[in-house]
Amino acid sequence: MTEPSRWPLGFQSAAILTIDFNDIHGILTQAPAVAGRDKTLSVWRYGTLRGVDRLLALLAEKQLKASWCMPAIVAEQQPELVQRIVTGGHEIACSGDSHEDFSLLTLEQQIASVTRGCDKLAQITGRKITGFRTPAGQWKPGLAQALIARGIQWSSSWRGDDLPYFHPGTRLVELPMHYTLEDEPYFAFNLSPAIPPGQSRIAPYGETLANMTQDFHGFHRFGLCYLLRLHPEIIGTAGRIGLLRALLDMLQQHNVWIATAEQAAAHWQTQPDNDVCHPAEVFTRITGGAHGELA
Amino acid sequence: MQQPGAVRWPQGKRGCMALAFDLDGPTGDAMLNGSLWSTPEYFTFGAYGPYRALGRLLDLLRAFHLPATFFVPAWVVEQWPQQCQAIIEQGHEVAYHGYRHESFWAISPDEQRAVMAKSAEVFLQHLGITACGFRTPSGDWHAETPQILRDAGVIYSSSMRGDDRPYSIPVAGHTPLVEIPGKWEMDDYASLAYTRQPDFPKGGDRIASYAHTRDNWQREFDGAMDEGLCLTTLFHPKISGQPGRLLLLEQLFAHMTARDDVWFARCDAVAQWYLQEQQHD
Repeated sequence: MTEPSRWPLGFQSAAILTIDFNDIHGILTQAPAVAGRDKTLSVWRYGTLRGVDRLLALLAEKQLKASWCMPAIVAEQQPELVQRIVTGGHEIACSGDSHEDFSLLTLEQQIASVTRGCDKLAQITGRKITGFRTPAGQWKPGLAQALIARGIQWSSSWRGDDLPYFHPGTRLVELPMHYTLEDEPYFAFNLSPAIPPGQSRIAPYGETLANMTQDFHGFHRFGLCYLLRLHPEIIGTAGRIGLLRALLDMLQQHNVWIATAEQAAAHWQTQPDNDVCHPAEVFTRITGGAHGELA
Repeated sequence: MQQPGAVRWPQGKRGCMALAFDLDGPTGDAMLNGSLWSTPEYFTFGAYGPYRALGRLLDLLRAFHLPATFFVPAWVVEQWPQQCQAIIEQGHEVAYHGYRHESFWAISPDEQRAVMAKSAEVFLQHLGITACGFRTPSGDWHAETPQILRDAGVIYSSSMRGDDRPYSIPVAGHTPLVEIPGKWEMDDYASLAYTRQPDFPKGGDRIASYAHTRDNWQREFDGAMDEGLCLTTLFHPKISGQPGRLLLLEQLFAHMTARDDVWFARCDAVAQWYLQEQQHD
C-alpha cells in the first residue's frame, strides 16, 4: 500500500520538527484567566527557563534542525535565548507579534500582526523570516495572499491532510498539523485554572510514545509528512525529554527525510497544484472564494 | 425478539460482524449552525475523511476481504462523488446518514422526510443506487421516525444501543424496521477523537492509547462472537483512518479474520437475513 515516493533523494517519507516557543504568551491567549497568577504562569515559563536549552542539547546531540515558531514578543523578551536557537542552526518562524487570537482580529489587524512580528524577528535574529504559524484562532479570507506578499513561503496552521498542500489561489505551502503529533493534547496540565477544562489525567508517557511511534509507522508506510508540534515547557522536562530522544532515535533508523519546514516547503514547490477535491479547495469553492481572490 | 441461543447465522457461523463506518466528512453541527464557514481548520479536519482517509481504508478492507457498510451524509456524496463511488465499486454498501448530518431528534417529521428525499435523489444521481439502510446522525430520533424511514424504503436502521442482536421495530402498514444496534464501546470517537474549537471531548480529555483501544475492541469482538451475537462498529474514516490508527485497524482486522466462526456481512445482508429468519419462525 506504499504510495509512490514524492520526497527528494529517494526518501520514503518526510518528518518536520516544529517547536512552539511562546513562553507565557501562548497560555495567556488560550486561557486569559491565568493572567497575574504566578504559580500557574511558572508552569509555562519553565520552557524559557529550562526547556529550550534541554531541547537544544538534544537536537545538537542528534544533529537535527527544528523550526521554532514564536511571536516577536518572546524574542524581544528573551533575545539571548533566541540567539542560542539561531546559533544552533535552527529555523525561526513567526507566530504573530504578541501571540494574538486571530479570530478576534480583522484581516488588516492580522496582516499588521504578521508584518510587525516578521520585521521584529528578522531584526533580532538577523534572518529573513519565511514561515508562519497562526498563534491562535482562524484566518480571515485574504490572509494567504497577504502572507505571500510579505515573503512568507510556508504556513503550518491548518489541518486536513497528511501531505503538504497549497493555499488555494496561491503557491503558499501549508504543512498541516495533526493533534496526534502534538505534545500538548497528551500532557498539558494545570490544576486551577483547569487546563484542560475537564482536569483530565496526564496521559501515560510510555503509551504516548507508543502512539506517536505507531503514527510514524503509518506516515512512513504511506510516504507522508510526519510533522511534530512540540513545546519547550511540555516536552523539554527531565522526565519527558527521553520520549523525544526515543522517538528521534526511531526516526533516524528509517529512510525518512528529516527536514526543516523551510526545506520541506521549498521542495513542495516542485509539486503540482491541489487536486480540485482537496479539502482546502472545496472550502474555498463553497465559501464563494472568500478565502481566495474572489472575495 | 429472539431468545439467546435461537439465533442461526448463515453459513453455520457462530457470530456476526457487521463493520460500519460513518463517513461524515465536515458535516454536522458546525455546518448546520454555519460556524464551519469561518473555521477552515475544522472544515479541513473533517474533509480529510472522504478525501484522504477513505481510499486507504478501502485498500485495507480489500486486503482482508472484509465487507463493510458506509453511512454517508448525502452532502459528502455531492462534494466527493468519485471517492464515494469507489465504496460501491469495491463491493461495500452505502446507506443513509442525513443530508448534512442533521440530528433527527432536532428536526420535525416533515424535515426528516425532506432529508430522506434529498438523500435518495443524491444517491441515485451520483452513485446510481437506492439505499435501504439508515443510521441516525448524532443518535436519537422521534417516535415518528421509523414510519418515515419505512415510507422512504428503508428496511433497517443501525441507530440504537441497548442490545446485542438485531431486533424488530413495528411500523404500521409495513413490515417491521430491523434495528442493528451499536455500542459506544465500538465508537472510535469514544477513545480516539480529539479536536479544539470546537473542543472534543468537551473537557479536553486525552487521546487514548492505541494499544489499549485495540485491546478493548478485540475483547468486545471476542465476547460478542463467543456468545453468538451481532456486533457493528461506529468508526469514522477521519478518526481511525489517520495513518497510525489505520495500522490499529489493520491489527484489529487481523485479529478478527483469524477466527473462522464469524459471518462478516454488510448491514443490509444482516437485515435481509433477519427478515428472512423472522418469516421462518
